Amino acid sequence: MKRTKYYISVLFIVLIAASCTKVVDLKLGNNTGELVIEGNIDDSSKPQTITLSRNVPFTNTNTYPPVTGATISVTDGNGNNGQFTEGPPGTYSVSRLQGIQGNTYTMTVITNGKTYTAVSIMPVLVPLDSISSIQSVFNKGNNIRDITVHYKDPAGIPNQYRFILYVNSVQVKRVFAYDDQFIDGKSVNLELAENDIDIHPGDTATVVMQCIDKPIFTYWNTLMQQQGNGPGGGVTPSNPPTNITPATLGYFSAHTTQIKTIVVQ
Amino acid sequence: MIKSLLLILFLIATLSAFAQKNYIISGTIKDKSTGEQLIGATIRIQELPQNGTATNSYGFYSLSAPDGEYTLLFSYIGYEIVIQKVSLHQSIVINMDLPSKSELKEVVISSNKPNNDNVASPQMGADKLDMAQINNVPVLFGEKDILKTISLLPGVKSAGEGNTGFYVRGGASDQNLILLDEATVYNASHFFGFFSTFNSDAVKDVTLYKGGIPAEYGGRLSSVLDIKMNDGNNKDYTVQGGLGLISSRIKVEGPIVKDKGSFMISARRTYIDFFLKASSDSTIKGSSIYFYDINAKANYHFDDNNVLYLSGYFGKDVLGLKNTFGTNWGNSTGTVRFNHIFNNKLFSNTSLVFSNYNYVVQSFQSNDNFKATSQITDVNLKEDLQYSMGSRHLLKFGLNILHHTIAPGNISASSSSSFNNLNIEQRYGFENAAYVNDEWKVNDKLTFLYGLRLSGMFLLGPGTFKTYDAAGNVLTSATYASGATVNNYFNLEPRFSASYQLNEENSIKASYNRNTQNIHLLSNSTSSTPTDLYVMSSNNIKPEIADQVSTGYFKNFNDNIFEFSAEVYYKWLQHQIDYKDGAQLLVNQDVESQLVYGSGRAYGLELFLKKKYGRFNGWIGYTLSRTELKFDAINNGNYYPARQDRTHDVSIVGIYQLNKRWTFSSTFIYGTGNAVTYPTGKYKVGGLTTYSYSERNGYRLPSTNRLDIGATLEGKEHKKYHSSWTFGVYNVYAHRNPYIISFRDSKTVPNTTEAVETSIFATQIPSVTWNFKF
Repeated sequence: MKRTKYYISVLFIVLIAASCTKVVDLKLGNNTGELVIEGNIDDSSKPQTITLSRNVPFTNTNTYPPVTGATISVTDGNGNNGQFTEGPPGTYSVSRLQGIQGNTYTMTVITNGKTYTAVSIMPVLVPLDSISSIQSVFNKGNNIRDITVHYKDPAGIPNQYRFILYVNSVQVKRVFAYDDQFIDGKSVNLELAENDIDIHPGDTATVVMQCIDKPIFTYWNTLMQQQGNGPGGGVTPSNPPTNITPATLGYFSAHTTQIKTIVVQ
Repeated sequence: MIKSLLLILFLIATLSAFAQKNYIISGTIKDKSTGEQLIGATIRIQELPQNGTATNSYGFYSLSAPDGEYTLLFSYIGYEIVIQKVSLHQSIVINMDLPSKSELKEVVISSNKPNNDNVASPQMGADKLDMAQINNVPVLFGEKDILKTISLLPGVKSAGEGNTGFYVRGGASDQNLILLDEATVYNASHFFGFFSTFNSDAVKDVTLYKGGIPAEYGGRLSSVLDIKMNDGNNKDYTVQGGLGLISSRIKVEGPIVKDKGSFMISARRTYIDFFLKASSDSTIKGSSIYFYDINAKANYHFDDNNVLYLSGYFGKDVLGLKNTFGTNWGNSTGTVRFNHIFNNKLFSNTSLVFSNYNYVVQSFQSNDNFKATSQITDVNLKEDLQYSMGSRHLLKFGLNILHHTIAPGNISASSSSSFNNLNIEQRYGFENAAYVNDEWKVNDKLTFLYGLRLSGMFLLGPGTFKTYDAAGNVLTSATYASGATVNNYFNLEPRFSASYQLNEENSIKASYNRNTQNIHLLSNSTSSTPTDLYVMSSNNIKPEIADQVSTGYFKNFNDNIFEFSAEVYYKWLQHQIDYKDGAQLLVNQDVESQLVYGSGRAYGLELFLKKKYGRFNGWIGYTLSRTELKFDAINNGNYYPARQDRTHDVSIVGIYQLNKRWTFSSTFIYGTGNAVTYPTGKYKVGGLTTYSYSERNGYRLPSTNRLDIGATLEGKEHKKYHSSWTFGVYNVYAHRNPYIISFRDSKTVPNTTEAVETSIFATQIPSVTWNFKF
């Protein structure tokens, strides 16, 4: 179901052979300097990291001023808590706070006299069975591949997933977020359809699978819907609904992490 | 409610009782050569200019005058005027056949005085399209198109480049009631909106109501587009058609029993898919992309007073990728109508109407195959009556019982598929209405068109119905038995128009009307997609309500050859629907939890100057308007411009008949760009450049403008057949009209971002069509 829109978009673009694109200069407003919090807690043994930065004007380079000197802590309500310390400016981390599936995590960020909090539940892990490459539906002549992920969705409970795809260690600029609305309890073969990077045999593909909670799924899914360039240009964009109060840019996500890498055949 | 309707009827009856003894002239007006009934033909009495009338949708008229000698004038646009003297000493029936001007096969600069209906009629905010003009207006790919021609009228905006979707006076595109022989057409476009579902070969009459909507119509907020199909020639068999670059069409019509009954069948199919065969990509080569539609109609005149009509439409779009994915969608409608003339004053039409829209999405891949379907089916029983009461009142009243069945979504998949079977409960409901409408000629100058419509919406079981809080959580859930009323809404919709004729050539008009809408399109995509989903008013969704006031000045000059109008309107909208961020609308059991509700306002000025007759004719339309919406959760609860808000909108249409064989035409459009949301900053999350937004629709796409030209070459005259060529160039000066602007990481300068403008047609699109008739 989810790929329907992608297929329709591609056919639409093929049909409109006369279409063309050009880079344009626009006068855009400037509503910047807003706090961006990106908080992640996962079940790996690696240090947990939360970054604080500010948004910048569209015309700037993609470098974002760090927000330093914040006080950040995360607790899980079971007596496990971590006080984050700032390493590189704006990057805060804690080493001994491995996330536990099923636990509820609360993040508290105090910066510039304001306190921000967010709650996220780490879902139970759904094993990523494997990833594989298949011939892309389009561009067969150019020998292009698509990456498919394989897992079994647990029946009877709502599950949400986010995938991150890397090709030769370069992240594909697409958001992949899915729930189990149509696939509850099924063995899933999900094609990570994208047109950012062409994948060829011999490339190395890495997929990160995250099991995420519902509010975080809504966050990523909103971003995913906005990247649609289908007929009419997709949905009206807006800032995705954050789980941080008071609202600011960014999110706080407690999720499981699994990584698989293959050499594309 | 019923009491107040009866009271109005009683008052009207009392008023007319004071009128003096009148005799009645009634009858039916038809085309002389084909027997097609003419809709909106006018009948005037030279000696009593205020006693004129027009034929209804079935060519019937009735008017009255005191005993005397009179000169009757029968006229219709594109037809010769017929003058007949009558001695009226008793009620008489005059059935008139008007000869069409085109049969004279010469350039006629009309010798008879054109009528001044637009000044004299109390109806405002209405446009009747001349089919001959539609055929001459140049359009994309040479496919003459009713909906695209409509968007060249003031107050009507095209939903986008090449798109048949339209916005009327700030309303959303699902707020247009589109009727084809009285059947609702839910998705009026083919192929993502590039073509309309209406094959203009099969269409006889098109009327668009933007305001002052008569009480006989209801169910949508913004407009009514009433399309009537051809009845079919009841004198001779004819075949006509056209071969175009991307589609062909054919129409066959003729008598079933000469002068008694006739039929018409018209079909059209595109063959874009044949071009795909040329693609080097094997998947695209194996793809299917086409649409077709079929219109059919038959009628039989049992006698002068009893006529039966059957009409149907069937259309489908098919789109598929070889062995991967396929989708098809389409409308089908069927109408059975029975006209009965009770007497020379009372005309009745009874209709039984069926309408269906459905779509299917299929995946054929073995491990994730599925078939998803969705549909809406209507059965509508209508009784419409028209009663001419004396010379001053024309009364229309009727009943409408409309049953909806909505199957929001059904997914079936094989056991090996990664998809589950899923069936969302069907929804049932009645949309019933009763109306009364009177056109009252108070005196020579003043006419009222006023009425009342009562609409009742009943949402029925069986099923489980939930209510949701603002966050979308389930508040209550209740199960209802089959036929149990879950919810009902009653709305009274007053309709009122008045015109005051200053003199023969000038009038002023004003109107107020309320419209309500109980069936709502859910689609968070901005253009027409096959996966349109409809929901009825429910526990969560209240009926949408629009109140519109408008006033205008109408003028004809140079013997009615030119017409000018200026109208202003203001519209209040209640219970408008938008979607939450990340809303999931497709096959969602809790789709109503994904909605937010707000209000809106729209206002504007429309100027229209038209030259109706002569070698050179055409029009200039200009609209200055504003459309704003207000939702608590969007834009901090402040008004923001709707996507369809367009400050300036200009269209110019010119048609020039050079000689018997050549006709040239041209259209030019200019419009303020759509209101869009642009980023006001950027940041990084999830490793990706992400944009931040502050105001909804706070920016504008660049303005659009485009010139199209067309030419028609009539073939040499033959006794047996007739042929013509139509040539066109769309986007003559290859203007790149922006379709969307998107934002991405720069492909050339690392670590920066860029805005990219996509134009669909950045070049001229030529077209040629060969048309024939024999």
